[in-house]
Amino acid sequence: MMRLIKLEYTKFKNHSLMLILSMLYVVFFPSIIFYGKEFNDLPDPLPGNIIFYKFPSVWDYQGYIGSWLVFFFLGLIAVFSVVNEVRYKTFRQNIIAGLTRKEYFLAKFYSITAISVLVTIYYAVVCLLIGMFHTKGWTISDAFNNSWAIPRYFLISMGYMTFGLFCGFLIRRSGLSILFYLIYGLAIDVAIKWLANSYVISHGAVRFTPMNTMEDLMPLPFYRFVDLIPDIDFNFEFLLTYWEASLGTIAWCALFVYIAYRSFTTRDL
Amino acid sequence: MAVLEVVNLSKSYGRIKALDQLNLTIEAGNLYGILGPNGSGKTTTLGVILDILKPDSGSYTWFDNQYGDKARIKIGSILETPNFYPYMNAKQNLEIVRQIKQVDEVNFDELLELVNLAHRKRSRFRTYSLGMKQRLAIAATLIGEPEVLIFDEPTNGLDPQGIAEVRSILTRIAGMGKSVIMASHILDEVEKICSHVAIIKKGRLLATGPVGAILSSDITVEVAADDMERLQILLESKSFVNKITKEKKWLECLVDQEVNVSEFSSMLFREGVTPTHLVARKRRLEEEFLEITKNG
Repeated sequence: MMRLIKLEYTKFKNHSLMLILSMLYVVFFPSIIFYGKEFNDLPDPLPGNIIFYKFPSVWDYQGYIGSWLVFFFLGLIAVFSVVNEVRYKTFRQNIIAGLTRKEYFLAKFYSITAISVLVTIYYAVVCLLIGMFHTKGWTISDAFNNSWAIPRYFLISMGYMTFGLFCGFLIRRSGLSILFYLIYGLAIDVAIKWLANSYVISHGAVRFTPMNTMEDLMPLPFYRFVDLIPDIDFNFEFLLTYWEASLGTIAWCALFVYIAYRSFTTRDL
Repeated sequence: MAVLEVVNLSKSYGRIKALDQLNLTIEAGNLYGILGPNGSGKTTTLGVILDILKPDSGSYTWFDNQYGDKARIKIGSILETPNFYPYMNAKQNLEIVRQIKQVDEVNFDELLELVNLAHRKRSRFRTYSLGMKQRLAIAATLIGEPEVLIFDEPTNGLDPQGIAEVRSILTRIAGMGKSVIMASHILDEVEKICSHVAIIKKGRLLATGPVGAILSSDITVEVAADDMERLQILLESKSFVNKITKEKKWLECLVDQEVNVSEFSSMLFREGVTPTHLVARKRRLEEEFLEITKNG
């Protein structure tokens, strides 16, 4: 396993776009939340912008911001890691040189898992630091109250990145894969959910579209506070529970990985 | 030991049959040329045996299956164009290959020296000319002491200087005692480097064997005289002349191999014909190839 991760790392560390995307993530992740200092007067029932930074809600806000950054930066890294090699034809050359197709696929999968572990650790460290500096008289139990957010953050990263691999391996066109990843993630998924709810079946199941499931792992925290959900007739809770979202995300990850793996091991390269 | 055994391989692209029940056996130490016109299935064959393409039916076995699905680690190949990471330099690209081949240590400088790229080892691959890319690809094939080398049209698209360089490197490699499989439609290239040939057309094997056996032992004699008509009538009457083709400036006759040039010329003098041009040569692979593929 380490051999395959090292191989991917050698490709990664020399590629400037990959480095830029990961640097942007590293810089943006801990800093965006401080933009919240600009907003002093929050609408009721929010107590004021300290809510962004103190335990336990820092886990939610930081997680929500992080989920967008994961979608844009890490998910795209996953797509690029596949389509770049399609464009350079090095995915064929890797096989010709001796990797089995399975190993090639595993190298990609192990790498996104490794990245997910790293960003999850980063998430935990950043949340703890921000919380410590903004919570008066905090205790260890304050700090880790709500720390189930940590495994959920890992699932978000795995979810978007396996979707990225899926788009890359299945479509295998650099422009088209990236376009599909973004458009599906930002528009089509929402459209499917709303259209299904309006015209097919108004049932809680429509919330299990892939992107919606992953978003509900770290929803916009306001939704938990206020019941001012958009004016639409839902016959169910707007958000999935954390358990539903977690299990749903695991199922989507497994499906994306399975389809991408099948596609890569059975088609001509 | 059979390096490669291909059994009844078939592969279609839509309605086009690229490989049609192809069979092929390559023994260790052979320098094997796969010959065929463009579109005959050479690259498809190589693609299948390197697991880039999936065959519709049939099978292939590398090294009597002693390495399982790891066989490609023991094979150095170039398929079609040289494919490397454009943003990495020569050494970094070779490092990737080293990791894939699971080799502990490789002397990259020595390899790059062999293919005349030492002076550009720190330049990114994307800045290379086609000839340099091809030479880097050849260097990459040598990583990890491969037992077999596969070259697909190694001089395709190169300028004359590039062709000469690549050929001299290939000749050097062929001298290292490794098995080589080379696909080409340039017969001259195959004839110079290979010990064995397989000729394929429309995905079928037409002929295979040592170059000497494929080349018939008949001799071609070019002969001209002042009176060409008389010369032709005279030659047509001789039983050891098998075939006469009229070229622009001389007649080309296929004669039995026992006949040597001095016998041939003294025969002409005896008959009162003075040759103004007389050259005897072995048949070229090219002529044999055209003959075989014409009917295939």
